Parts: sequence; C-alpha cells; structure tokens
Amino acid sequence: MKKKYFHPAPTIRELTGPQYWKSLDEAADTPEFRGWMEREFPAGASELDGVGRRQFLKLMGASFAFAGLGLTGCRQPEQRILPYSKQPEHLIPGVAAFYSTSQETPFDNIPLIVETHQARPTKLEGNPSFEAYAGTTDLFAQASILGLYDPDRATHHRDAKGQEMSRPQVLDLLDSVVKEFSANQGDGLAFLAEPSTSPSRSKMVAMLKKRFPKALWCEYTPVRLSASQKALKALTNQDLRPVYHFEKAERILCLEADFVQTEPGKLALTRAFSNKRKVKDSTEVDQMNRLYAVESTYTLTGGMADHRLRLPLSHLSSFTALLMVELLTQLGGSSEAISFLKPLAKDLEIHHDWVKACVADLLAHKNKSVVVAGHNAPFAVQQLTLWMNQLLGAIGTTVKYADVPALEQGIEVLAEKANSGKIKTLCILDGNPVYDAPANLSWKDLQAKIPQVIRYGYYFDETSEGAIHVASTHYLENWSDGRTWNGTIVPVQPIVQPLFEGVQPLEFLGRLAQDGGIDAYNFLKENFTSYSNGISFDDWLATGVLKGSEFKFVGPIFQWTDLARVLSEANFEVKSFDENSLEIRFVPSAQVWDGRYANNGWLQECPEPMTKLTWDNAILVSPKLAEKLQASSGIPLMPEHSVLNERGDQHPPIATFNRGKEEAFIGELMINGVLLKGPIHIQPGLPDFTVLIALGYGREQAGRVGDNVGFNAYLARKEGNMDFAFGSLKPTGALMTLANTQQHWSMEGRAIIREANVEEYAQHPEFTSHMCLESHAPANLGPDQKMPFTEVVKNIPRGNSAYETPPFKAPQQWGMVVDLSTCTGCNACVVACQSENNVPIVGKEQVARGREMHWIRLDRYFSSGGSVHELPDEPQVSFMTMMCQHCELAPCESVCPVNATVHDDQGLNVMAYNRCVGTRYCANNCPYKVRRFNFFDWNKRHIDHFYEGPMGPSGMPELHKMQKNPNVTVRMRGVMEKCTYCVQRIESAKIRQLAIAKGSGNIEVPDGVIKTACQQVCPSGAIVFGDVANAETQVSQQRASDRAYAVLGYLNIRPRTMYLSRLRNPNPKMPDYSKMPLSRVEYEAKSGHAASH
Amino acid sequence: MPNIFPKNSNQAPLKVLIGLVLVILAVTAGVMYWATPKYTNVGYQPIQPIAYDHYLHVEQLGLDCRYCHFGVDRSAHAGVPTANTCMNCHSAILTDSPALAPLRHSYESGEPLPWVRIHKLPDYVYFNHAAHVNRGISCVSCHGEINLMGEVYQAESLSMTFCLDCHRNPAAHMRPLDQIYNLSWKPTDPAAQVQTNLALVHDWRINPPQSCSGCHR
Repeated sequence: MKKKYFHPAPTIRELTGPQYWKSLDEAADTPEFRGWMEREFPAGASELDGVGRRQFLKLMGASFAFAGLGLTGCRQPEQRILPYSKQPEHLIPGVAAFYSTSQETPFDNIPLIVETHQARPTKLEGNPSFEAYAGTTDLFAQASILGLYDPDRATHHRDAKGQEMSRPQVLDLLDSVVKEFSANQGDGLAFLAEPSTSPSRSKMVAMLKKRFPKALWCEYTPVRLSASQKALKALTNQDLRPVYHFEKAERILCLEADFVQTEPGKLALTRAFSNKRKVKDSTEVDQMNRLYAVESTYTLTGGMADHRLRLPLSHLSSFTALLMVELLTQLGGSSEAISFLKPLAKDLEIHHDWVKACVADLLAHKNKSVVVAGHNAPFAVQQLTLWMNQLLGAIGTTVKYADVPALEQGIEVLAEKANSGKIKTLCILDGNPVYDAPANLSWKDLQAKIPQVIRYGYYFDETSEGAIHVASTHYLENWSDGRTWNGTIVPVQPIVQPLFEGVQPLEFLGRLAQDGGIDAYNFLKENFTSYSNGISFDDWLATGVLKGSEFKFVGPIFQWTDLARVLSEANFEVKSFDENSLEIRFVPSAQVWDGRYANNGWLQECPEPMTKLTWDNAILVSPKLAEKLQASSGIPLMPEHSVLNERGDQHPPIATFNRGKEEAFIGELMINGVLLKGPIHIQPGLPDFTVLIALGYGREQAGRVGDNVGFNAYLARKEGNMDFAFGSLKPTGALMTLANTQQHWSMEGRAIIREANVEEYAQHPEFTSHMCLESHAPANLGPDQKMPFTEVVKNIPRGNSAYETPPFKAPQQWGMVVDLSTCTGCNACVVACQSENNVPIVGKEQVARGREMHWIRLDRYFSSGGSVHELPDEPQVSFMTMMCQHCELAPCESVCPVNATVHDDQGLNVMAYNRCVGTRYCANNCPYKVRRFNFFDWNKRHIDHFYEGPMGPSGMPELHKMQKNPNVTVRMRGVMEKCTYCVQRIESAKIRQLAIAKGSGNIEVPDGVIKTACQQVCPSGAIVFGDVANAETQVSQQRASDRAYAVLGYLNIRPRTMYLSRLRNPNPKMPDYSKMPLSRVEYEAKSGHAASH
Repeated sequence: MPNIFPKNSNQAPLKVLIGLVLVILAVTAGVMYWATPKYTNVGYQPIQPIAYDHYLHVEQLGLDCRYCHFGVDRSAHAGVPTANTCMNCHSAILTDSPALAPLRHSYESGEPLPWVRIHKLPDYVYFNHAAHVNRGISCVSCHGEINLMGEVYQAESLSMTFCLDCHRNPAAHMRPLDQIYNLSWKPTDPAAQVQTNLALVHDWRINPPQSCSGCHR
C-alpha cells in the first residue's frame, strides 16, 4: 500500500509571517522562489537543454544503433588474475593497509593515516595517535588525495623554452648552479620558498646558507599565519607563537580569529572548544563555555559565537584599546596605561555596554578565560592581546607561548635585490608568486628580469612561464618531516612510488647543499637522531607522532614601556565608512585557500559554508550597502517583495534567483587604482560598509578544473594592505550566473532547527519535544508509545502507519545522532564523504541546475528574529548536516516501482543500483531531499561533453580510477544514489568480527569500531554512529537525551538519524542578549504559544 | 457493397503466423541460452598459462588450500599464489620442466603470471571469502571438489539464486570448522549433521544476510 504524505497546509500567517530563511529571496518570498519550491525537483534539474529536440532524437537513434551492434556483451569476457611475482610483506589482496604520514601545510602538519589498497592510496584519515586533533582532518587534507591523481600535475621537467628535460639533465643543471656560485659564496643566488614546519628542511637550509653565505633565502605565502609571531617579536624580542588551550577556557573572546576554519591548529581548537559545549543533560549547562566574536567577516567562528560584534577590521586596533581600557578600569590597573590608551579609542562608535559586559564576564572567569587574536588582526591587537591574557591570568593555562624558530626574510627583500639586478639565479620552491605576490611588486616583470629562474613546483602554473620547471612530487610520494601546531614532530613518508618523474623537495635542495646530492630517506633518518628522544625511527613511522616533541613554552616578559613604544607606532585611526568609501577585506577562500587547490574539483564544488556558492568567488556586501547602492545606481540588487508578502506590493519579477540560478549583477571594485570586476552577492551579517572578496580565484594556468574560475583579487592586494584596503564599489547592469546551492533542497519554514538558550534548557529540559507538530499529533507508535527505543528499532510497531517494513531482525541496528550544538559547518564531512563514496563532481553548469551529487550537505539557516521587512543586519546562523535519514518507514521505498530502494534487516535504507530504472519517484517523495540522481554518466563522460551522449569522449582517466574506493560501486547514468551510512564500512567490520567469532556467537561489532566517513573526519565530534538496539552504546545514550529529536518527526517515518537541539549560551548582561535564539524567536512568533507548554 | 478490409488484409493470417513462429523461436532460443548452465558458465574451463593440476597437488601431495590461497580466511579475496610461493618447491623439483617455463620467467622477470579467471562474480557483488570459511562453509560449497579436478572448471552456477538458496538455509551446507579445507569430507549421517548444524546456527548466531546490503554496496 502506498503512503502519501500531507504536510499541513501553511496558514496565511506562516506564508506571510517571519520564517527561517536560507536566502534573501526566500525572506522576500519572491514568486521565483515559490515556483522553485513548489516543484518536486528544482526546476532545472529535470530539464534537458543545450540540446535541441531534433538533435536529441538523433543522438538517441545513434545510441540504439550502437546497442544493436554490440552483441558481444552476451559472453563473459575473459579476465586475467595477475598475482605478484614475489609477495610483498604484510599485503593481502583485498585487505586495506594503513600507513602514517602527514600533510604539509606552511604552518601546520596534519598527521594522517592513509588507506591503501594494494599500495594505491585511496583515502586519508586523521591520525588518532595525535590526541589534540583526535584523528580528524580538515577538508583540504581530505581533498589533497585528489591532487595526487590530478592529470594536470607536472608530469615531467621542462626547460625555459618548454622542452622536456630528463632527470639527469635536471641534476646537471643544479650542479652547474653550484659550480657557478661556489666561487663567490653564492652572491647572486636567491631562493624563494614557502614556509615549512619541517626540521629537516631547516637543517637543509642551514647547510645551504653555510655553503653559500651570500645567497638570499626568503619565504613567502600569501595567507600569512605568522602575524602574531611578528608582533610578539617586536614587543618581546623573542620568537613566540600563542598556542591556545580551549579545553580549559570557559570564556573566549575572538578578535578576528576564525579558529574553526583558518587559524593554525584549528582542528585542536575546534575539538577542545566543542568538548566544552557538549552538554549531557540540563544539570551540566553551567559547564558550557561562552564565545564572544568580534569580526569583520561572517566566519564559522562567528556562527558558533554566543555574541557576535560586526566591526570593520581597520577599527579593530582601536576596539582592542577600548577593551584594554575597560579591563584596566575594572581591574583598577595602571592609570598611566589607561591615559595612554583611552585617546586611541575615542573615535570608535561602538556600544560601550557590549565591551563592559564582555570584559566583566572575562574577568569573572579569571584564569579560565582567554582572548584570541587572529592572524589577520593588526599588530597592535596582537600585542594588546598578550597583555590582556596576562591580566586575565590566561598565560600558562588557557594560552601558552611557544618558543618557535625565527621567521625568515620576506619576499620584499628579494624583490628589492632583484630590482637592482643583483640576482642572477632564483630558485622558487613551491608557491606561485607570479599569481599571488603583492601586486605592487609586479612580480611577473621582476621575474622576467632575472637571468635564470628555476621553478620547483607541482603544476605548470603562472610562475612556471618562462622559467625552468622542475616537477615536484606529491607529499604522498615524499620523505620528510614536519611539526603540528603545538610542535609535535610527525613524519612525511611516501605511500606510493612517484607516479611521474618528480624530484623530492629534500633531494632538490640537497643537490645544491651537498656535492652529489642526498638521499631523502637517509637524510631524514640521520636528522631524526637529533630530535628522536630515544625513540626508534621505525616506531616513529609506525605511530606517526613523536610524543614529547612539543615546542618549549615560555612565559613572555615585557615591560609596559615596550608596549607603549610599539603601540605608539601603530595605527589607531578610525576611518568612517559610507557607500562611497568602503573597507575591502581580502580573505582566503574556504574552498581553494590561497589558490593552491584551484585545480581540485572536490573543493571547487564544495559549497562555501556561508554563501553556498560553488565554482566562483563573489563580492560580498551587506544588505545595507546593497540597498544604498541600489538607491544610488538604480540597479535592483535587492530581491523584490512580492504579492505573497505581507507588504503586498507587487513588483516586476526581477529576482536574484532565476529558477535556482543566482543571477548576480557584476560590480566594479576600485581599490587603490585597480579595478576588479566580479559578481555581487548579498551576505547578511557583514559590517555595513565592509566588502569581502575571497583570494585564490581567477587562476589562468591552474589546470583544466581551475582555469578562469572566479576573479583574481590578488591584482588589488598590495603590501601594507594585505588584509584590508579601502575602495569603492559600483554595480553595473551586467548579469552573471552563479552556481549557488543555497536554495536547493530547501525544507520550507518548519521547526527543523531547534534551539534554546541554556537558561531555558535548565528550566525546561524538554523544550525540544515541545516544538513542531509532534507535540500535538497523536502518538506515532499508537499503543506501543511507551516501548523503549532500543525495542522499537527491532520491532517496528505499526502505530498509525499503514506501511509494513520487513522485520529488522539483525542483532545490531544502526543509527546516527548529530549534535547541532557543536556542528560548525566546516564542510570536512562533505569532502570526506565524497572521497569515501566515489561521489563525482558535476561542474558549475550542472550545479546551477541543482544536480550536485553530494550525499551529505550542510544546510545553513539564517534567522533575524524579526520581521522580514527589517534589513537582516545581525542574523544568527544555524547549521545542520543533512543526509539520508534512513527512515524506518521510508517514504522513498513505498513509491519505488521496482523495489530498487528497500530496507535491510539492520535498519539501513539501501539502494540496489542494478534494479534502479531512474523514475526518480523516490527523490520526489523524500521529505529531506537527500537523494541524488545521475542525470549523466558523471564518471565516464567529460565535464564539457555531457550532452553529447555516446558521440562524446568516454571513459575515466586512468589516474582518476586509482583514487576510487574499490569497496563502493561507481554509479552509472540513470540511477539514484544517496547516503548509505557507509555500508561498506559496516559490512567489513561485521565480517572482521565474524573472523574473530569463528565458532562462537560473539558476532556483535563493539561500539566505536565502525565510524562513518563523516563521523571520522568531524573536527568537533558532532556525529555519533552506532548500534541503537543496544542501550549502552554512545549513540543510544545520545538518542535518549531530552534534546534528541527527529527532523519532520510528525510524518511518522521514524528516521534513524536524529539530532540534538542546539544550545546557545549568551550572557544576559550583554546589550544584544536575546532571551531565545533568534530562530526560536521566529518560531514562537509563528506558532505563538510556546509559553503554554 | 464496398470492401470493409483492404485487399492486403488477406495476408494478415499468414503474417500473424510467421510472427508467432518467430516469437516462439526467439523465446525458445532465449530459454535455451539464459536458463541453462551455458549462461551461468557452469563447466567453464579456460586454457591456463600453466596446466596446474589440483588433483596432483592437493589429493596426492596433500597441500592445504591455504598454502597457496593465503588470504582466504582474512580477506574478501582468496588470492592466487605468487610465483615465489610456487618456487618454494619448484626451485628444487622439476627445475627444467618446459611446462613450468612461464613460472620461472615470472619469478625471474617480476612479471605476473596471467591466470585466467574462472569464478567470476559481477563487479557489483562484494563476495567475501573470510566471512564464509570462518563460519562453517567449505570451499567445496561453491567451487566443487577442486581436489579432484585436473584443470579447474566452474562447478556451480554462482547465480544470485545459488547464493540465496544457501543464505536461506545455511544448515544444509555447514560443516565443522576443522573440516572446512577438507574438500572430500562427507557427513557420516547427513540427516544428523543437519540437526547438529541447526544447533550451530543457533549457537553461533548464524544470520546470513538476505538483504541487498549484504552483497551490494
């Protein structure tokens, strides 16, 4: 019997009143948005265009003809089994082997475990031996495996004219460099490298400097995470870096510090922060930490914050001075300092109550509070933060200052020398200065002036142009070492033989540093003894972490006079902004970072967490600025209100969203005399006159994926203005399409996200279950309402359901719980799932049609707490990971005409791809919109040739095949797919348990053994998976929490994935305190009777 | 009176007849092909690069299955022996046999021996050897009495029905764990053995998956 689901018809009030909204279009309720929502699939998703009807018929005819020709498919093809000639040790075909290594980034090596299948790396996981990161990674580390198999990587060496060079020729070249510069001690030789944490490289650099004392060694990377070190050096004359310990912090104030996404050590910070936010029940609420964020962008940290203040970055120095004054006043500190600092903050128009209450709260938690200055924060902020932390008693508890190696000279030193013609030979190691060096250096011309440029890099990119290119290896092909954010030394070991002819970085430098070169392995092994602490090399490689090798922590010593000296040089000017004079912020992209991941399709297609843009960057403006620009230019930037809106005014159907494709007006940004053109996107929550542009786009020679995606913001980024600049913005009438996923799969304004402040939770622990329709609907389970859920999952009482499931008789029943209190929206799960489950990318055009294939998505909801007519200046943001919920009474199953999606006996909703005929009924009937359809052969066809069918080129590049997980089917055109709860991991764990059980009944997989890909990667530990038929498991305990709820639970579909409602911990004394989270305010305004519950 | 039917309708019965015959022929040919072991490849016995004799090695010399198929109780794949496994003996025995020339070549050159796959499941089936041999199912259940085969051929259909027949009634196919690799083992009293197995199914909590996710991912 088929089930039909009736959502309650929305009332007029619901249609017109305040709602959660995902985009401004939704808030304004434009006709386009309603049209979009009312279709079962997003409109473009099921349309064929780009191909005329005639052409379509022609193509179809051809494909039938081909089908007729190929009768060879009837016979089983002969297949060969190729065993090894000599059996490698520890290798059993079919059993994955795991090796430790680490991903090198300029400031932090992320310890990894690499899954290999017969020596082929397929998946990266965090190394749990490094406890601070708890076995997690970020999305960049997850996606870096795709870089190994990038067909666009440099596969050979080439000389300045583009001719291929052999390895011996490269070595000869390096030898000739040595010969040339040995005579004059390296005068005229220069190096430009990316910063590295590697002790072995440091040693190599020391050797180089010894051999060529007059040579120049400079380091540069466009996103500098070393600002705090520079600032503290100026103040204390020591090389220090703050290492924060949030596990001890109860009150945190972040000044422009996005510790969720960009700060070094973000994994440790996120995990420690989240652990202090996990609340078991209402008695534990006072253990929860509180986060204040002051920021010029809307970061994920701002999204997690209990109080968030929008502030232009150029005002931050002055703001920090104000904080300091307040802190000193409340502490009764030095009046000299107060009188020095007070004038610095006088121009700031800011709510002094905010600062007052915030400082009072920090002081009330002395020794347990901390102030964090981000890497973008100006020097004065870093220096004042140090002092604030000292006054708060944070130093030694919540923040420690690590004694780190000194910073090398920067790119500007090199540029000056090169301009005066003193550089004869320049070696560029990684990085991409032609693309990302400060614009005022005009690096491209400068590089052309240098007689010989040897560029060592992974791609033939902008910098390789006109230079000798030496191909580098991927970090999964290297021997090296590195340090994590707290200094722990981790190995970088090769997992696979170099796929192409690459030179390892240590070998490249070693050839210059020592006659005859070095062998990277031997060099590393030898150098290891200098820091080994008596641990053997093999043990180090086996665990992947050298315990006890952290940085030494020192208490910084400084005098007030030092601080006064450095502060007197700082700039505390408070510039006032309006629509003609704006602050422009340069931020690293959440997808491609500084541009280095531009050719990585997984990252390009991963929606930016806040804007949900893919395959583009945009000029992000606040709603207020958009309104002002609209008024002055007459270009309709803001979405129009429609007849469905309370205001009732009817406008021509111009909207920023046209059938799901965001039509953005192109804006012209004028920054320091440089004109940038890019699409304008409205981002609520920004300071009114601060404009955000992401770096890393507009690459010209990135590769087939990354070329000409977005616009290049580096063109306007100059020294002295690396983080922010001043400029103006002029919208033009031209339109451009953005692939924005923010409206796809929207769930309309029901109580999907549930939130409360801790006070409310303490008084009404059951608030979660009193929201939405469940609190009114008849009991879903009928007479079995009182049955414990561990029994429910096995017995599936019919309750009011007409639908009968197969018996769930397996001993273990799987389920998941997601804690919304800790989900930060960092996207790591999206990429991890893509990597584990062979999820393809589809390209910008297809994303714009709503055909993205991600099995897990992050829904981002804004809430402004008020009516939609007020401009949403200060919205709160809530994230929810949404994937297949594995409903026990699954609506998708009852509509499948071919039984392709059915339940198995362990409670999983499974897809049998071979049965699927592609009716897409299941996706239409899925209330969560988590099913994805293969409209094309994403894996087999090339991204530009989808519409050509059998006429187009076919087949997957061999390199791409190597990345695929052999335990997951690569899906073909015309079938539906969705989250499987990583069924391959479940089954392999069960089989491993069977091999242990042998002749016994011990077949239950212990709790915690099975981790889904999203759970394993989650830096905040928000996802828990396990057996829900056993009350002892972690997942069952969370499911039993009073905060647990099922999304759309009133449908009686009984999802196996449940959510824990989000708790916020705002300070009642703050001026922006709201008694309820803003999403709750909206919900209560809509349903209006919560108080009675 | 005008003709109701056009003239060419006189041929209609003939056309229908011919059509019917063709359909019947097609159905017969289809059944002959798809419903017989020909389709499921029972009896498939390709020419191997070396005419390896299981009868000689297992039955006469007494090699255990796992000496060569070393992954069978730990992995999804049983594994095919590497050249150095063979050379453990053949570096001393039959050192110049022309039949073993490909083996020696493989051992010396490092090139794999291209054995022809006989037991092939479709790519969307994730069969696992370890799950079976560790829980009372012998090699013989799917591969037949390989110990008696000179050159190996496919003995069973390995179709989905074949799998499900056993998954629905495992007791009929189980045997003591110490007899898994003894391919000639027969229960002395088959009826009593089924009773014993039924007890084992209960005690060992044998629950072979019958849902899609058991084999398809």
